[in-house]
Amino acid sequence: MPGTPFAVRVDHTDGAVALRMSGDVNRTAQETLAHAYDSAGDGPVLLDFSDVDYINSTGIAVIVGVLAKARATGRQVRAFGLTDHYREIFQITRIADFMAIFEDETTAVTAS
Amino acid sequence: MTEERTDEPRDRNNWAPNIERLRADGGVNVGGRRLTGPQQGFGPMWQKTYTVRIPGVEPERVISEWKANYGSFWPSHSRFNAPVAGIKPGEVGNITSMQVMSTGIMVLYTDETSFSFMTPEGHPFAGWITFSSYDDDGTVGQVQLVIRPSDPLWDVAFLFGAAKGEDLMWQHTLRALAAHFGVEAKPETTLVKVDKKRLWKNAGNITKNAAIGSAINVAKAPVRMLRRA
Repeated sequence: MPGTPFAVRVDHTDGAVALRMSGDVNRTAQETLAHAYDSAGDGPVLLDFSDVDYINSTGIAVIVGVLAKARATGRQVRAFGLTDHYREIFQITRIADFMAIFEDETTAVTAS
Repeated sequence: MTEERTDEPRDRNNWAPNIERLRADGGVNVGGRRLTGPQQGFGPMWQKTYTVRIPGVEPERVISEWKANYGSFWPSHSRFNAPVAGIKPGEVGNITSMQVMSTGIMVLYTDETSFSFMTPEGHPFAGWITFSSYDDDGTVGQVQLVIRPSDPLWDVAFLFGAAKGEDLMWQHTLRALAAHFGVEAKPETTLVKVDKKRLWKNAGNITKNAAIGSAINVAKAPVRMLRRA
């Protein structure tokens, strides 16, 4: 099934680092997302899913990889911009237990 | 700016529905149980990845055959009773290990090149298992687990051999998968300890331990037979 290539932009925002993702989050996203995370510096990480339309189960594993790295160094991860569908998927998979999920960037940034 | 997306997700039918508990008739140590991700487990969290090269076979065909013959690739000491409907989202498969311990999995996700399982309470480990096939200078079959031992008893068991047994099981599975396509291959294993901490708040999971539950179920068998007589 052809999809949209994954891309990520690192954006330093108020005291946090936003990883602005776009395209399909699947196995092919692993290297790009890991590199973006490694280059993101310090502070809480905001995963921006606003331009993500598709996440499959190998994509969930990719996200877990980022969460695992963050966990190892005690770094906070917050997510926002998820569609209702993927909010539900994050509940089903219980990935929501690993990070706080917010409606939008403003609430994600101001959360402590 | 966030704009609302209302299109029907293209993977809606690939994912299992959101359920509170597995069906009550799901089997011993499965029926009525909640699903567990790694954060509902107890022991250290591991990411275990097993791969095998299967050159000359399209990833879609690898996954199609894997789903259709899933249990046949397992070692003989464990049995997987596939769901009647097959490996499809939301279906439950039952597992019998060493002829005594009963547990199971729920099919979390499927598509043409991958499928995932999630474990219920009491299973030896809490987490996800993702099976996938992809092209990386030739086709690769992969099993990836993101798991924690479910409770203190399973944690001890994993320290004293169960973790090695888990590795051997998936290596056997991948060898059998490759052999199914006429390929003799040696699987590769990558083990990463993601979180060394134990989640003591989940120590009470031991009350759902599938080995204990199975032993109790076996012990009660004569009583059930007498009641039926």
